[in-house]
Amino acid sequence: MPLLEVDGLVAGWGRREVLHGISFVLAEGELLTVLGPNGSGKTTLLRAIAGFEPRRAGSVRLDGRTIDDAPPHRRSIGLLFQEPALFPRRTVLENVAYAPLLQRRPEPEIRALVDRLAQLLALSPLLARYPDELSGGERQRVALARSLAARPRLILLDEPFASVDIEIRAGLRAEFRAALRAFGTAAVHVTHDREEALFLGDRLALLFDGRLAAVGAPSEVFGAPGSEQAAAFLGYNLMASPRGTVAVLPEALVPEAPAPGRPHYRVLASARVGASSLSVLEGPAGERIELRGPEPLAVGTEVGLRWEHEVRVPAGAPLNHGAGARGG
Amino acid sequence: MRRPGTDRLLLLAVVSFLAAFAVLPAGAWLVGAAATESVRADGAVLGAAGPAFANSLLQGGLSAALAVAIGYPAGVFLGRYRWPGRGAVRSALLLPFLLPTLVMVLGLLDLLGPSGVLGGPFPALRWLTVGVPGIVAVNLLYNIPIVVVLTAVGCEAASPALEETVASLGGGPARAYRESWAAPSLAGAACGGLLTFVLSALSFAPPILLCGDRCATVEVAVYRLALLDAEPAAAGILAIALIAAFAVPAIAYVLLGRRLRGRGPRGRAARPIPWRSPVTWGLAAVFVAVLAGELALVGAVLFRSVVPPGATRWGGPWRVLLGPTTASHLGLSALAAVGNTLLFAALAAAVGIVLATAAAFAVVRAPTRGTPVALLLFVPVLLSPVVLAEALTTFWGPLVGGTANVWILIVLSQALLGIPFALQSLEIPLAGLGPAGREAAASLGASPWGAFVDAELPRARSGWQTALLFVFALGLGEFTATYFLLTPLSRFTTLPVAVYDLTADRLPGAAGAASALLLLLSLAVFAAVVASGGAEE
Repeated sequence: MPLLEVDGLVAGWGRREVLHGISFVLAEGELLTVLGPNGSGKTTLLRAIAGFEPRRAGSVRLDGRTIDDAPPHRRSIGLLFQEPALFPRRTVLENVAYAPLLQRRPEPEIRALVDRLAQLLALSPLLARYPDELSGGERQRVALARSLAARPRLILLDEPFASVDIEIRAGLRAEFRAALRAFGTAAVHVTHDREEALFLGDRLALLFDGRLAAVGAPSEVFGAPGSEQAAAFLGYNLMASPRGTVAVLPEALVPEAPAPGRPHYRVLASARVGASSLSVLEGPAGERIELRGPEPLAVGTEVGLRWEHEVRVPAGAPLNHGAGARGG
Repeated sequence: MRRPGTDRLLLLAVVSFLAAFAVLPAGAWLVGAAATESVRADGAVLGAAGPAFANSLLQGGLSAALAVAIGYPAGVFLGRYRWPGRGAVRSALLLPFLLPTLVMVLGLLDLLGPSGVLGGPFPALRWLTVGVPGIVAVNLLYNIPIVVVLTAVGCEAASPALEETVASLGGGPARAYRESWAAPSLAGAACGGLLTFVLSALSFAPPILLCGDRCATVEVAVYRLALLDAEPAAAGILAIALIAAFAVPAIAYVLLGRRLRGRGPRGRAARPIPWRSPVTWGLAAVFVAVLAGELALVGAVLFRSVVPPGATRWGGPWRVLLGPTTASHLGLSALAAVGNTLLFAALAAAVGIVLATAAAFAVVRAPTRGTPVALLLFVPVLLSPVVLAEALTTFWGPLVGGTANVWILIVLSQALLGIPFALQSLEIPLAGLGPAGREAAASLGASPWGAFVDAELPRARSGWQTALLFVFALGLGEFTATYFLLTPLSRFTTLPVAVYDLTADRLPGAAGAASALLLLLSLAVFAAVVASGGAEE
C-alpha cells in the first residue's frame, strides 16, 4: 500500500484554480521531486497536501486513510520552506527538541533523538547557538532536523536550497538525502532547479500550469520528455527535422560550415565556461539555440548545425529549423 | 558616503516647520510660564490640576483598556482572515477617527439618549450617555476602530511560515498563536491602546458636553485657565505637567508603531475563515458588533437630522440649519461655515502632504533617522490641540495680524495635527526604497533634484492619495484647536465649531443637521479613500 495517495487534487487561492486534478502516489521512504517553472503550482501542491490550502476537489490519503478533513497539525506531515522559519528565541537544541517535547516523549528518548540528528546533520557544535548566529545552510540543516525529530510519516520540501549559497548547495543536498534515508522518511520535494531535481529524486514529476506532465524515474523522464514544453524546461533545444520536432541537448549539437539550402545560425555570444564552452546562436526564425562544445565560436559568424543524438517529442509548431540527425 | 543635498533639504524643511510652528511657540510659552514667579506661588490656581489629572487618567485608562479588550478579538478577525469586502470594511472602520468628537457625542445622544433611537424605547441604556460612562462610550467609538486596525496590522506582521511550521510539527492553534502571532498582534493592540490612552486622556468635547466641570480633563483645565480665567502662565504650567505626564505613552506609541510597521506585512497573512472553530465565531461576533455599533451611530445621526424627536414633519432641522436663525447665531451662514471648513481642510492637506512627503523620504533614506523624525512629528499631538492653539496664538498671533488672519493659524494647527498620520500612509509605498533608481537617473545625467523628482517621487504617488485625504478629513473634523483659536461669531467659523455653538445655543435640531452634514462630508472623503485603494493603516 502506498504511503501517500493524491487523487484528482484541485486547489487554488482566491478565484484562481492553480492545481487542476493532480494524481500521484508515493511509496514508504520514497523521495519524489516535482520540477516546474515559477507559478506552475508547486507550492500550492505542497500546501494543499499539508492542509494549509483548502482543497476544492479530489482527495489526499496517508497510510490508506483520508486526511482531507484533518487540520494540519494532526496530519503527521512535516513542511520545510525556502526560509527555515526557526524559532528565533530558541537555541538549536530547543528548536530540534520542539516537536518531541510537544509529543511528551520521555527525556532520554528526546536526548538520543537529538544526538542522532545532530550527528547526522553536523549540528553538534551548534546546539547552544541561536538562529541568528547560524549561516543559511546551518539554518536549513536545523530546520530539517527539527522536522525529522517530529517523526512525521512524510516531509514536504518547498525549495529548501533556493536561498542557500551555491557553493554549499550540493553538499547540503547530499546531507538532506542521507538524513531522509537514515530516518526512512518519505518526502515530496519541489524545485525549479533541474540539476537539483535530477540529483535528489527517486522519481521525478514535471508540473506545468497546475498539471503533472510526466512522472517516472529521473533518467526516464529526462530521456523521454513527453512534450515540447517538458523538453524545453529540461534544457533541450527544440529543432525541426524531417521527422518532426525533435529535442536536442546543447552537448549534442555540432557546428559545421553553413551549407546552401540548409539553415544558418548566427553566433550571438560564446565563451569558455569551465572545461567546455557555451555558445548562444540565433536561428532563421529568431529562435535562440544553446550549444556546448569544446571551443568557443567566433561571435558574429554563421554556422550550420548537425547533431548526434535526438529525442522525438509529440508534434507541435516547429521552433527551430535544424537539418536533422547527422545533418539529415 | 556623502549624503545627497536633497536629503538635507527635505529634512531641513520638516524640522524647520515643526520647530517654527510647534516646538518654538510651545517652548516659548511654556518657558515663560515656568519663569513666572506669581504662578509658582499660586497653589489655588494649580489646585485644579489634581482632579483634572485624575479624570484624565481614569477616562484614558478605562477607555483604552476597554478598547483593547473589545478591539483585539475584532482586530484578529480583520487581520487574519480574508473575506469579501475586507478592504472596504477596514477603511470604513477609520471613519469615526475622521469625525469630530462633537459629532460622536451627538451621535451617542441620538442613539442612546432620552430622545434617542434606542434610548427612547429602552431607558436602561441611557446611563451610557451621562457622566464617565458616557465619556468612555464616546471615546470607545473612536478607540475601538483604532485598536482593531492596529491589531490587524500586527497580525499581518506575523510570519505565516513560522505558524505553519508549528502546525507541521504537531502544534495546535493555541501553540501556533503563542509561538507565531501572539507577540506581533499584541504589540499592535498595545500600540492602539497607547494611542487611544493619550487621545482619551486629553479629550475635550465629551467631558464638557456629557459631564461638565467635575469630569474635566487636563486639556479642558488648560483651556479654562488660558481662555476663561485669563491665566496663561498658569495654563502653561499645567501644560508642562500634561506633556510630562503623557510623553511616556506617546513616545512608547511612536516607537512601538514604527517597530510594527518595520516588521510587515509578510504576505499570505490572511487565510480563509475556519468556521469550524468556535473561537472564530466568537471573533466574528465581536467584529460584527463593533461594525454594527459604528453603523448604528452613523445611522442615528443621519436619522435624527431628518426626523428629530417629536417632529411633526420631516427635514425641519435642515431648514433651520440653512435658514436665518442659524446665521444669526453663528455670525455667518451654514454654507459659509461649510466653505470655511472645506477651504481650511484643503489648505491644511496641501501643507501637510508636502511636509509628510519630505519627512517620509527623509525617514526612508536613513532608517536610523526614522524614530527621531517620527517623534518630532508627533509633538503636536502630544502637545494636545489646546496647548498647540494657545502656543500658536501667543507666539504667531500678533505676527500674522491677530483675529483678522486667524485662519492661517487654523490651517497650521490642522496640518500639524494631521502630519504624523499622513507620514504613516506614505511610509508604506516608500518602504524598501533603495538608491538604485536615483543612481540610475544620475548615471544618465540627471541632477540630484532631477533624479529625486523623476526616479523617487513617483513612488510616493499611491500613498499621496490616502495621506492627502487623511489630512483633509482630519482637518474637516478638527474641533478643539479651531474652537480655541476662533472668537465668537467669527467669519472663519467652521462646521465642527458651528455644531458646538448651535448645541450651546440650544438649537439641537440645527446642531444635529450640521453634524449630519459633517458626517456626509466625511463619508464622501472616506469613499474617496476606499476608491483610491488606501487606508490600510
